[in-house]
Amino acid sequence: MSTARFTVPKQRLAQLLRTPGGPPAAEALAAARDNLAVLKPQCIGELKDLLEAAEKTYSRLGGYEEAGLAELYEAAVRGVGLGDLCGAGSVDVALHSLCDLLDHLQTQAIYDAEAVGVHLRAWRLLISTELPAEGAQKVLDGLNRVSAKFGVPKSEEA
Amino acid sequence: MGLDPNSRARFNLKDATVLLLDATPLGMTILVQIVTGLGAKNLHRCADVESARQAVEANQIDLAIVDSLPPDGEGYDFVSWMRREAGEPNCYTPIIMTTSHTPRSQISRSRDCGANIIIKKPFPPITMLERIIWSSKEDRKFLFSDTYVGPDRRFRNIGPPKGVKGRRREDITATPLPQAGAEAQDASAES
Repeated sequence: MSTARFTVPKQRLAQLLRTPGGPPAAEALAAARDNLAVLKPQCIGELKDLLEAAEKTYSRLGGYEEAGLAELYEAAVRGVGLGDLCGAGSVDVALHSLCDLLDHLQTQAIYDAEAVGVHLRAWRLLISTELPAEGAQKVLDGLNRVSAKFGVPKSEEA
Repeated sequence: MGLDPNSRARFNLKDATVLLLDATPLGMTILVQIVTGLGAKNLHRCADVESARQAVEANQIDLAIVDSLPPDGEGYDFVSWMRREAGEPNCYTPIIMTTSHTPRSQISRSRDCGANIIIKKPFPPITMLERIIWSSKEDRKFLFSDTYVGPDRRFRNIGPPKGVKGRRREDITATPLPQAGAEAQDASAES
């Protein structure tokens, strides 16, 4: 039988946060948002570079190949979060859907070029055009249908 | 957690030593921009697990923000190491994990690594500040066991699941009396 021990540690962080002299939360948040705003061009550039790398890998994949799917996954997972910072949050949703799909394909040791391809085309569409929100939502709905067709389990929201 | 974005409440991160672990340069830049905006000044920026370990061994860390480091999820192993091997006080350091996507094969690894909380990218600065404040709370018990070391993952004491014998001393008191058992358990499941 395993043993367990509990303790309630003192957190230095709690004391530091309470130390007088910190900025009001509203000001700190505004400063953080301003800091992030300057990264927009970098984020767009990175998303395009990752997409190009993913398309290159995709174009040489003829069937199930573990290393190739891993490369695609790495490109997609590195892009998650960047869309939101450049005002294209739907890219993050599409990339998350692609990660779910690739995880599923890797787990099942299968490959479907069309399912991956439609995600890559959606990725390009969502970063390269100023789609209205309804248009972006239609693209995302389409990706959901593709994933559902393959029985891709949706990962938990954190 | 809900922090009002217009809140005038003050939080001081100026003297906190913050460890950041993210393997991608842009991911690290994003983290730095957020935490410096929130007021942090003393940062250890680590691009890999080895440099993060060295930073932990050489410094008292007040807050760690650790990426899961896909695709292998080495970030989970780093958190596990910090909880089990880093020694006091760093084993108790609040750890916020960030993740872009968690493969299904790594879900239990993320649950069991010992992080205070996991947040999914993208996250706005307010989410990070809320989680920092929440993670720093001192009333959360810390558990050492053979299979898990980290903050207590039970947030509400509603007793053990139906049909499962409780493993903790306080679970015994949460077990309903035989006759009233079914009703009491149904009630606790709804609460």
